[in-house]
Amino acid sequence: MTKRFTGVAARALPMIAATLLGLAAAHASDNKIALIPGGPHPYFAPWEQAAADAKKDFGIAAVDFKVPAEWKLNLQTELIESLVSQGYNAFGIFPGDAVGINTTVEELASNNIPSAALAGCSQDPTKVAFCLGTDVYNSAYLGTKALIESMGGKGKIVHLAGLLVDPNTKLRMEAVEKAVGETNGAVSLVQHITDTDAQEAADQKINALLGAQKDQIDGLIATAYIPSVVAAKSLRNLGDKRIKLVGIDDDKIVLDGIKDGFVAGTMAQNPYGQGYVGAYVLDLLASGTCTVKDDAPWIKTPQTAHFIDSGTLLISASNLESYGADLKKLTGEIQSTFKDKYLACK
Amino acid sequence: MTLSATSEDRRNPLAGLLAENSNLIGLAAIIVLFWIGFTSYAPGFVSSFNLFALSRSLAIDIVVGFSTMVVLATGGMNLAIGSIGVCSVMLAGWLMQELGFPLPIALAAGLGLGALLGFLNGFAIVRSGVNAFIITLASASLFLGAMLILSKAVTFNTLPPEVAAFGRMKWGFVSPLMVIALAIGAALVVLFRFTALGREILAAGANARAAELSGVPVGRAIIVAHMLSGLLAAAAGLMLLFRLGAAMPSIGQDWLLPSFLAPVLGGTLLSGGYVSVIGTILGALLVTTIRSGLLVMQIGNFWLQLFLGLILLLAVMLDRYRSVHAERRSLGRRA
Repeated sequence: MTKRFTGVAARALPMIAATLLGLAAAHASDNKIALIPGGPHPYFAPWEQAAADAKKDFGIAAVDFKVPAEWKLNLQTELIESLVSQGYNAFGIFPGDAVGINTTVEELASNNIPSAALAGCSQDPTKVAFCLGTDVYNSAYLGTKALIESMGGKGKIVHLAGLLVDPNTKLRMEAVEKAVGETNGAVSLVQHITDTDAQEAADQKINALLGAQKDQIDGLIATAYIPSVVAAKSLRNLGDKRIKLVGIDDDKIVLDGIKDGFVAGTMAQNPYGQGYVGAYVLDLLASGTCTVKDDAPWIKTPQTAHFIDSGTLLISASNLESYGADLKKLTGEIQSTFKDKYLACK
Repeated sequence: MTLSATSEDRRNPLAGLLAENSNLIGLAAIIVLFWIGFTSYAPGFVSSFNLFALSRSLAIDIVVGFSTMVVLATGGMNLAIGSIGVCSVMLAGWLMQELGFPLPIALAAGLGLGALLGFLNGFAIVRSGVNAFIITLASASLFLGAMLILSKAVTFNTLPPEVAAFGRMKWGFVSPLMVIALAIGAALVVLFRFTALGREILAAGANARAAELSGVPVGRAIIVAHMLSGLLAAAAGLMLLFRLGAAMPSIGQDWLLPSFLAPVLGGTLLSGGYVSVIGTILGALLVTTIRSGLLVMQIGNFWLQLFLGLILLLAVMLDRYRSVHAERRSLGRRA
């Protein structure tokens, strides 16, 4: 009997312990965290999974992905204000405007609600704890360098850029100009075509460009999601493998374009990692157990002195199959070292 | 029936007052119902944080509504209020940041530009005889385009710190911007109730031909109404400048729907000749309440536009009903 009880206990105790540990994990934090993009955009889709995974992995009461109805700052700030009213106490925000978001962020801070800028930074001086995103300047620079290399170091290129109101667009334009400038005239930039990060605008502008100047252009660098996809599709429709294209992000159309030789490469960003790590750190900040270190190894950008690169890499035919694992590994590394590198915890 | 109601009005002033303000009373009742509903289902709706945020949005919505209301008084419209607002904001931001002008001068210049752009609209409408819809549709694009060319869409973000500080200021749970909006409302009540200019604007809207034959300078009234509209659009833009602490080229591009909703819900006639300042305030309050309430109940994100569109449609149908009712009433009186 004793033996049988011991056997039962031996089996049951680990189960109870596991259940209790599971419960403890499930209730590790009462924080309600919201991840809020600037508006509806396919780039942010991985944030939903990142929110769900962060909630589960770190035992946070709620991590929710909330999207403003349109890409307008006032809709974003109204959404944030309404979420505060519902008890959300930490925010990961892609700023609808790099400066305009600061008033809202300051109000959050004055109510002891931490916020972080994810995917795009707010302009200093700002009360966001940090900015975790792609080093867009570096990404556009590396992408343009890769494009120039695929063109054999000479020719004419066009830059397909995102929304002018996006805080990152100007940085990307400067980066493309820098990479072109380094060729000492071997490569010339025909023009920046901006505001192409919407389907209709991208279709019109890119197809008009290819229709009118296809033979005068040797390369396209797209630094926004939608023009990358549209350009990849257009080159496939034209059957043109002469014009080299380097895009951004890993939409299936772009990846298929790489596989079939219509796209030279695309710069991967890490939206999943931004959402996942962002939620993890916001939970620590909202719990009051950690504060941000002033003397951490932050990267200084023209927008902020508290930047962390969420990782970027060129996807080309050589790493088409393995880049996903590389990004996951990168996310794990950022998350596991974040506390020691950037936070001071009790 | 209309006649008997009128006779009853004469016998009982309270009944007359109630009948005259039935639209406002109905609107206020709807607002109260929404507040009860939102407070019951989303307790966060009446948290001090949300009430402050709501009062700040409401203040701007009210002034945006006034901007359209004053041109509706003439039977016209102004589709360029967002563009005028952003031009004024960018001018004020440029003067403060680039030229170092003090805040009051930059604000005055912004308001002046708003009035000037409104004047250009009014002048073009009166001189060309082309419908206000076409003129202001064109000028909306013209003003916005010119602003983008001149500013290169660069945000002015190093403004004096008192700009953002004023936007964040709280009086209890009310933003001081709300006091500005109500002060503007009081000034408009005085204009339309107690001045010859206000009566001329309303007369021009009620029946331009009759007003002209009675010696009312209809052209001048239309120009003044558009100047006023531009001035109010600039005021709304500058209030948003305080709210955001920065002059941004994206300001004002979503004003069109709320600008019509507030006055039309409040009883201002689309056909001109009648305005309601208090109605516009209530109309804006209804729109802001619904917007905030839907957001707090987490059903606002994508449903909001649908709700606002539905409300505008209902308001326009109500406006049509009122017009028909007023016509019948006047025929009844003549009979």
